[in-house]
Amino acid sequence: MYYHILINKNENLMYIYLPIAEQPIHSLAIIGVGSIIGFIMGLVGVGGGFLLTPIMMFLGIPSPVAVASVANQLVAPSISGVLSHWKKGNVDFKMGTVLLIGGVLGSSIGVILFNYLAKIGQLDLVIRASYVIFLSLIGSMMFAESMRLILRKKRGKVTRGKLHQHTWLHGLPFKTRFRKSKLYISILLPILIGVLVGILAAIMGIGGGFIIVPAMIYLLGMPTSLVVGTSLFQIIFVAANTTILQASQNQTVDIVLATLLLLGSVAGVQIGAKFTNVLKGEHLRLILAVIIILVSLQILTDLITMPSDLFSVIIRK
Amino acid sequence: MNSISQIIIYLFVFTFSAELRAQNQIVADLSQDNVEISTDFLGAKILLFGAYDGKKGDDIIVVVTGPKGLVTVQKKEKVLGVWVNTQKVNYINAPKYLNISSNRDINKILNQKTRKISEIGLNNLNVRIQPGINISRDNEKNWRKALTRNMLKSKLWSLNENSVALNKDALFRSYLTLPSNVPTGIFNVKILHYRNSKLISKEKSTINVLKSGISAEIYNIAQNYSTLYGIFAVFLAVLIGWTTNLIFRKL
Repeated sequence: MYYHILINKNENLMYIYLPIAEQPIHSLAIIGVGSIIGFIMGLVGVGGGFLLTPIMMFLGIPSPVAVASVANQLVAPSISGVLSHWKKGNVDFKMGTVLLIGGVLGSSIGVILFNYLAKIGQLDLVIRASYVIFLSLIGSMMFAESMRLILRKKRGKVTRGKLHQHTWLHGLPFKTRFRKSKLYISILLPILIGVLVGILAAIMGIGGGFIIVPAMIYLLGMPTSLVVGTSLFQIIFVAANTTILQASQNQTVDIVLATLLLLGSVAGVQIGAKFTNVLKGEHLRLILAVIIILVSLQILTDLITMPSDLFSVIIRK
Repeated sequence: MNSISQIIIYLFVFTFSAELRAQNQIVADLSQDNVEISTDFLGAKILLFGAYDGKKGDDIIVVVTGPKGLVTVQKKEKVLGVWVNTQKVNYINAPKYLNISSNRDINKILNQKTRKISEIGLNNLNVRIQPGINISRDNEKNWRKALTRNMLKSKLWSLNENSVALNKDALFRSYLTLPSNVPTGIFNVKILHYRNSKLISKEKSTINVLKSGISAEIYNIAQNYSTLYGIFAVFLAVLIGWTTNLIFRKL
């Protein structure tokens, strides 16, 4: 975890001192990590923050700084992504706006919760535990889904189901028509989803794409073509709100770290998006699912193995 | 610090040492008394050197103490299969940096009582537990040991016995390492000259560790204009995201 022993002089040029994390880091390594994550994002549509934040923590960046700076960097690839999807007409702005109202509300609650957890000294635990729960959940769901698709394609059967399932959730009051998504559902449902994702986004340093995308498909029943663009649209605002609140409440946004990450990720997203037609989606999802499961297992192992020293110190400012 | 300048410093110190010796004085200087944490900061190594009026068997101890403040020690326990921080003890007045160097084992130079009185040694510091926390004597020792152990692990505290080099009972030199996670503030340097466990003379100096350059600017803005800083961080991300989109559309 400690990242600060004197480093060989010849390598000095590559290192940059992070003003908020208060430690030096290898700049090319960070740009590299950013571009790989961006590539995955562009390819699969999700997977920015929820891989990036744990990687930053593995590299020894304090978790509050990792969470806040990753939220900051997420703004850039999301903007870049939305612009591409917008051109193709793949964004439902009405649905996006409803989601982001919930999202902004949720991320504000999230930052308050974040503050409280930091105060009682359990922030690190909650961040890590949330990662274990959500990554293992999402990882195994993605794994099952892509395996089913691959097997089905092998058998050569293509079944077409209903447009979407109707549940009691759709019957809540304040029904609104979302023309673009061809939906007539209660406005409370997307707001609620937005709030939940916003809270998680603020605490975990994620855009929430990996939760909101399945939620939009399975809970709201939106057409899959609109899902990625619309989720990116709302992520911009959730990530921006989280960044500003984290900066003003906790001073944990490291702009140097965020900029290094986003320089890599914006390029990665664009390149990844160009590869979507070349590589098979379900195989990619399968690989991503395995990566996600491995990351969650790594964090889980850290949580359940007995630490070499039960005591640790925090040096207060 | 290259070897030529080191030799020059030595010659200089040696020329004047005769005079100093007559006054039974110890003099010392540092290769740098300002450490600037800028964007390329990876830690610092400082040469401490000087002359003393010595006899065979004399000892030199150097104590460098960084700014003092609140340091929290946490203890983990297994709760539902997961290791969770369940207890904490706050130490007030704990040095956030400490380096003790000497020419030989400190317990050979000074007895336990003197070490305790003059606060020399990692476990002889006058750090106090914040009032209001009730722990038993036995426990108190464990917590205190945990503080030392973890501070040593983070490289912020260090004990370097046998690291002060003595020369002809007149010159001494020692290297001081500041890790990249060093706190900012005024560091007090004490150089103590002992003969048969008695303090003969001492010299004091300070090192100022400060943030400088862009790194300092960013830190200050983040602290003092935090909302504006957040808005700027978002603006920068939007700008870069938008620009890359324009670039890649052309490709």
